Amino acid sequence: MQKKLIITSSPHIRDGVTTRRIMQEVCLALAPAGIAGIVLFGVSAAKLIAISVLSCVLFEYLYQKLTNQKIAVGDWSAVVTGLLLAYNLPANAPVWIPIIGGAIAMILVKGIFGGLGSNFMNPALTARAVMFVSWGTIMGSYPATNYMVDATSSATPLSVLANGGTVSISQLLIGNIPGVLGETCKIAIILGGLYLILRGIIDWKIPVCFIGTVFLLYLCKDGFQMAVCEILSGALMLGAFFMATDYVTSPVSNLGRIIMGVGCGILLFVIRAFANYPEGCSFAILFMNVMTPLIDRFTVPKIFGEVKKHA
Amino acid sequence: MNVYLSMLIGFLLVNNYVMCQFFGICPFLGVSKKFDTALGMGMAVTFVITLASFITWLIQYYLLTPFNLGYLQTIAFILVIAVLVQVVENALKKLSFSLYQALGVYLPLITTNCVVLAVAINNITDGWNLLEATFSGCCSALGFTLALLLLACIRERLELSNMPKWMQGSPGALITAGLMAISFMGFGGLI
Amino acid sequence: MHKKQNFLSVFLNGLIVENPTFVLMLGMCPTLGITTQAMNGVGMGLATTFVLVFSNLFISLLRNIIPDKVRIPSYIVIIASFVTLIDLMMQAFLPDLRASLGTYIPLITVNCIIFARAESFAAKNPPILSIADGLGMGLGFTVSITLLSCIRELFGSGTIFGLQMMPEAYQPMAVMNQVPGGFITLGLMMILVNFIRLAIQNKNSRKEAAA
Repeated sequence: MQKKLIITSSPHIRDGVTTRRIMQEVCLALAPAGIAGIVLFGVSAAKLIAISVLSCVLFEYLYQKLTNQKIAVGDWSAVVTGLLLAYNLPANAPVWIPIIGGAIAMILVKGIFGGLGSNFMNPALTARAVMFVSWGTIMGSYPATNYMVDATSSATPLSVLANGGTVSISQLLIGNIPGVLGETCKIAIILGGLYLILRGIIDWKIPVCFIGTVFLLYLCKDGFQMAVCEILSGALMLGAFFMATDYVTSPVSNLGRIIMGVGCGILLFVIRAFANYPEGCSFAILFMNVMTPLIDRFTVPKIFGEVKKHA
Repeated sequence: MNVYLSMLIGFLLVNNYVMCQFFGICPFLGVSKKFDTALGMGMAVTFVITLASFITWLIQYYLLTPFNLGYLQTIAFILVIAVLVQVVENALKKLSFSLYQALGVYLPLITTNCVVLAVAINNITDGWNLLEATFSGCCSALGFTLALLLLACIRERLELSNMPKWMQGSPGALITAGLMAISFMGFGGLI
Repeated sequence: MHKKQNFLSVFLNGLIVENPTFVLMLGMCPTLGITTQAMNGVGMGLATTFVLVFSNLFISLLRNIIPDKVRIPSYIVIIASFVTLIDLMMQAFLPDLRASLGTYIPLITVNCIIFARAESFAAKNPPILSIADGLGMGLGFTVSITLLSCIRELFGSGTIFGLQMMPEAYQPMAVMNQVPGGFITLGLMMILVNFIRLAIQNKNSRKEAAA
């Protein structure tokens, strides 16, 4: 089948320079959270970030080389995926975890569907979910930070909250809590997220609706104090700013994006409050990724010039 | 939690027959190329399963159990389903031709959709009463429809992407379904 | 051009050329549902083969008696009878295997391989050939799902037929035992099948170009 005109799904801007600039901005915005992770968890965090980024770039390069495609590693999207993947790992994970994760993300989720713009789920999150389901004990045991007073306890704020305990909001903000390496320091993540919104790289609607919905639902359930703790715990901030907003896997229209944000919020609340897993951020976003084509179908503005069919 | 609410959430998300239990895979892969066909199939299946759940329940408790014919369950149920599909098809043709035109082509395929038989058997195994069994049938069918529509939307979008030649067709559909199933796994333990 | 059919050619057709899993894509539910253990694959495959051979034989014997209008209910009753037979036999002699295959045993009734073969082969061919078709298709199905379940068991539990295959340090990849693993493994195997098919096509077209 000879295709003269290759039509691809959004984003239509395939200009290397533009994609590259956007991805570089995202990397910049992700940097504070990574630095905070290295400061909090030490050298092992740095090692995991480096391996994860390297393996993502390498797997994308190898896949494109083997299938005789144009090498598109220069667009930095593999670096972003690698960073996000690493930020979702506990700092004491063995080195083969980011390598397998990189292969799943770059080949299974992105490459074989046609590369950037063709994947329907966020590669880093999908890889994380696959590994979480497979190796729950490795992916779900979080080490304490280097500065915690009680270094033996590795209960995450979410499990403390779920068991009726309390956590200090200031500790949550700085990130001096057990957790995966890139999500603990909320100040760094919020700074990065705000930077992206101000630069116009991401749309404010998804993160605001996402976090807002979770806050409101917990406000109704447990009151103000708990609601603040809940939105500052777990992967919510990282997910809302950096993963739910992925261009490729989120809806196109404004209404669609609001639905996406609210939907993620409701699912996250439901999974956190009622399901097996203590944290539902990645599964909530993945489920909404799957819903995205359906949402797009019903929210995309009328095509200009289309005649309305009479029922 | 209310048994009906937990049934609805259960069969839509947590124990979705297609995404979490591997039933009805053939129509799931076969009629998910276009959104409109998927919608038609989903509606037809919902209609038949709801009705079949109702009738097979009556057959089990008023015919098979009293006469100790439990071992004939599979034969009795599949016969009911086959006849039901035929009756529904003929009835629709007479009563509502427009609905028949919308659903007609999918009806014969439903006989071999294993969700129908699986739901009928599971209703009895789980010991629901008549109303619960009918409702569980309806919810299971809606879960099937949800999975089918989601896959159809994604496949329509993938049609436009530059997937390699060896991925087009069944491999693409299977791997897409696998990735979708991962996103359904987060709901484990919800009910 | 009608090729002459004999027992062997029909048997091989079912086993390889029109392999029900990889070529016809039929009977996907048991293919994915029970293939977490190699033993399940063999058990399911042989149970299906049994039903397929006997339903093919009987439908072929009765092909001139069953009126066309009621053929679908008639086929279903024949198939369901043999399924009930094997179900009761397994409950009596192999209760453990029956328990691990669960609802999938009664569901052999609606396995579309059996239906498709009844409709497209047994209803048109004499009994001996129909048995060959049933055997070929059934064993083709058995081999495919055993292969699939070996792969899934190897990565999901580190074993094949219950024997330890992976080194001690291997951490079993639990997702392979669950729904996503089934879909993805079969998807990857289908990619391989597509590769082979495309390679054969290329070769043939090169041959034609050379000729």
